[in-house]
Amino acid sequence: MRMPSGLMLALGVSASLIASAAVSNAQDKTIKIGGLLPMSGPGAYFGAQDKQGVELALEQVNKTGVNGYKFTIQYEDSACGPLPATQAAKRLLDQYKPDVIIGEECSDATLAIMPTVEQAKIPLINAGSSAIKITDPGNPWVFRIMPNEVMQGVDIATRAYDRLNARTAVLLNENTNAGIGNAKVFKETFEKLGGKVVAEIGFGRDVNDFTSIATRVAGLGKVDVIPTYTLEGQGLKITQALAQAGVVKGGDGAAIQLGTIWLPFGFEQKAGKAATGYVRIVQFDPTDQRPLVRDFVSAFKAKFNADPTHINAHAYDQIMLIADVVKRGAKDAQSIRDTLATTKDFVGVTGSVEFDKNNQNTKMDTIHYMETKPDLSWTALKWN
Amino acid sequence: MSEIAAAPESIYSRASALRRLGFLTAALVIAALPLVLTGSYWQTNLTVCAINVLLALGLDFILGYAGQLNLGQSAFYGLGAYVSTLLITRLGVPFWGAFAAGVAFAGLAGLILALFAVRLRGHYLAIASLGFAVITYQTLLNWISLTQGPLGIYAIPAPPSVVIPGLPTISFRNPVALFYLVAGFTLLVYFILDRLVRSPIGETLTAVREDDISAASLGINAAAWKVFAFGVGAAVAGAAGCFYATFVGTLVPDAFFITESFTILSMVIVGGMGTLIGPVWGAIFLTLLPELLRGFGDLRLIVYGAALTLVVLFMPGGLVQAARWVKTRLGFAREAAR
Amino acid sequence: MTATIVAQQAINGIVLGSLYVLVALGLTLIYGVLVQINFAHADFVTLGAFSAYFFMHMLGGSYLASIGVALIVGAALGWLINVAIFAPLRRRGSELLPLIATIGVSVMLQNAMLSLFGPVPYAFETPYSQQVFRVAGTFFTMQSIIIIVVSTATIGLLYAFMKFTFLGKALRAVSQDRETAGLMGINPNQLIMLTFVLASALAGMGGAMLAPVLVLTPFAGASVIVKAFAIVIIGGFGNVEGTILAGLLVGLIESFTTQYLDPGLIDIVVFGLLLLMLAFRPTGLISERREENV
Repeated sequence: MRMPSGLMLALGVSASLIASAAVSNAQDKTIKIGGLLPMSGPGAYFGAQDKQGVELALEQVNKTGVNGYKFTIQYEDSACGPLPATQAAKRLLDQYKPDVIIGEECSDATLAIMPTVEQAKIPLINAGSSAIKITDPGNPWVFRIMPNEVMQGVDIATRAYDRLNARTAVLLNENTNAGIGNAKVFKETFEKLGGKVVAEIGFGRDVNDFTSIATRVAGLGKVDVIPTYTLEGQGLKITQALAQAGVVKGGDGAAIQLGTIWLPFGFEQKAGKAATGYVRIVQFDPTDQRPLVRDFVSAFKAKFNADPTHINAHAYDQIMLIADVVKRGAKDAQSIRDTLATTKDFVGVTGSVEFDKNNQNTKMDTIHYMETKPDLSWTALKWN
Repeated sequence: MSEIAAAPESIYSRASALRRLGFLTAALVIAALPLVLTGSYWQTNLTVCAINVLLALGLDFILGYAGQLNLGQSAFYGLGAYVSTLLITRLGVPFWGAFAAGVAFAGLAGLILALFAVRLRGHYLAIASLGFAVITYQTLLNWISLTQGPLGIYAIPAPPSVVIPGLPTISFRNPVALFYLVAGFTLLVYFILDRLVRSPIGETLTAVREDDISAASLGINAAAWKVFAFGVGAAVAGAAGCFYATFVGTLVPDAFFITESFTILSMVIVGGMGTLIGPVWGAIFLTLLPELLRGFGDLRLIVYGAALTLVVLFMPGGLVQAARWVKTRLGFAREAAR
Repeated sequence: MTATIVAQQAINGIVLGSLYVLVALGLTLIYGVLVQINFAHADFVTLGAFSAYFFMHMLGGSYLASIGVALIVGAALGWLINVAIFAPLRRRGSELLPLIATIGVSVMLQNAMLSLFGPVPYAFETPYSQQVFRVAGTFFTMQSIIIIVVSTATIGLLYAFMKFTFLGKALRAVSQDRETAGLMGINPNQLIMLTFVLASALAGMGGAMLAPVLVLTPFAGASVIVKAFAIVIIGGFGNVEGTILAGLLVGLIESFTTQYLDPGLIDIVVFGLLLLMLAFRPTGLISERREENV
């Protein structure tokens, strides 16, 4: 059993890469960011958009640098799965030696690498995984800047009961960690308030045709709200099918579809008339008039010729948060972690950040309720 | 068998001496690898290699020796992982007890599937095993109250430390120790399978593979031997699953989707089926290739796919046959130069 | 109420089933003639879908014309895969080699599409998918009528071709008995090429038909391939009539499992049925004289 020559070659190459990185380190001060993102498989949906937000943010912070520091990033494909994420994380930690890592998107991948980053004592900033376990109990090195499934689910269920006077609900969720977790929190909260969940319908990510599911929902009689936990692709099909079946307002029915932060800006335009009356929370509102958001939107449009999504915005905020921490004096993994933990008044394009003792962002100003009008524009509902 | 018995004693013993030397070298290489590759990334890859070698060996025993196409390897892998983990996390069964149960459960599942499918020839067994793999995956995914489904199981413990009086405690939280454990087990499986295929059992299996009917005329119960091979191969995959769970520490059903079966099959074919060393190289090659291609960024898997296709097109006998070809050509060149 | 639900789910199942038939027929044709599997077949479906998308949305073509474009793209891919993969490997005799080689092709195609088209799902809108008809409590779209009409016509043409033309008869002969076909003076290589072109044209076309239904990403085809395998098997390997029946059956299983059980159980029901078929009727839904394969 000889060692494969390819392996030797790779070792040689990576050793020289590490060496050259060390040399450049000595010349100018750099904060190295590891980008642990899904780049292959269906999870590339997240990774590709994260990358755009990261690139824009890096371009901006590196124009002047922060406290004399420049920022670099190396991406590794973590493929939304525990084993590939572990391999990608170890490669980053071993060879690139980042000061801070951003990622993963999928909850199970994030949970799988948490012990690894904790052991390596490198802070991880997450903006895409909603599983409660990530910050409860969590570990001292892992920070989450978006609301977790409990924060989101409790809020949506309460608003549905209070503001929409909903008493009956049908839950539609993809059979994933996030889909099941969010649906469960909604159900618990809604039932505690006195509402009734008429049916819970879970489905795999390989389901394409939602006509049958819409037919089943239509057969359940009068339903007030339909909380839906899916990504954009299946979300489009569900909304259209529910409209065709005459269940939701977009199809002249009575039910209101409720959505989570998973859907991007522009969903309504893709879904068409079927989306009318859809109420959903967004974490990023590209029509937000704050100068910070206006600047981000116009810079993003100039660079990518498209409106930014919440995923773009989250990635942008992750880098900006790192820059903010460096501005406050952090310079290596330990000080980045410690400074992150004391974050109180960071304002990003998605909202503000203040961590609790478990490193969960407690700010709820990231949640905005929107209703889709018949002309497919948004109305802010100002429920929060 | 009769040929080997008739072979001159000296050749026979020289072959077995070479074999013993081979095992010794393999053991030394396994011992040395984590000392050479000191980073935790490469040590992780080494353990992944060892797990995949185990999976490929198990499949090769079924496919390459008994001639049965098994597309259910991902299911046996998953069953080993889930059965052992659930026993540990839910019932507090000690690791090695759970390990034995995981292996036994996967092996038994293989036996039962093969009993059901053995009267079907060729593609029908492949299809039955594919169906079994789909159903197993979907069951792991949907039986949330038992398996946690996509919510996943986390913080799966490492095997218990080994305490030998007078020596430092061996903790399998240490990735190197875990690699030694998995690779050592893999070597043991290789050794056993090697003995098995060289024994009369191996020849019986080969006879069954080549021709059911003439095997039957020799008084061989072909069906029983196919079932046996299936059970062994499935049990080996179950062992790989137990190691996977403790190694990654996280279990979600997606790791055992049916595409995993095709990946394992690719390892066997790329290495060269019907030899034991072939799947070893095939598994190492296809495990390390995507890692070595990380430098290609977004093109990584395009290159991987192209490489897989090209290897099959240009080395249809697998890496083993290609190596043999190179060796004879080199040998020939040396002869000519002399 | 219950009757309309049953009627509605029957409509849903048949529409979905006819799409599955288009995808599975290609696999069946290739299997019937060669006893080999093109693993990249699903990606041909995806490429068909994308070519229809770009023909419609970039070049401004009509949806019906885009189905034709996808068909041609599929046919070209079929020609290519036979020349590049199947023909060179045919001499080697192992049916596993093309399987593995096409797994490589599939990985390559999916990731090339990922690089080119990105991972964000495309909204494939046809003028027909928003046109909803409501009849006696049931609903269906113009798109589903097109799906039924076009796939029925295609299946009918294919059936007529297989039954009544010389080439079609030759194909059937080869799939049933290769030696006799050789004796009939049929050039097997040309027939094999024809099979690949036909099968892949069906895949491409199926892509264009599925595109408004599918979540259109580079992984779209991969989401139906597992079901397509099941359909080919339930239909009885290489049996065209059986595949049509099995495709519709799987569509119906999907809609009725969704209605009365749980969408998460669709694959379990489909593959459970498959195992039962293997146990009790291993020749498939419709048995032909194919004893040598049993």
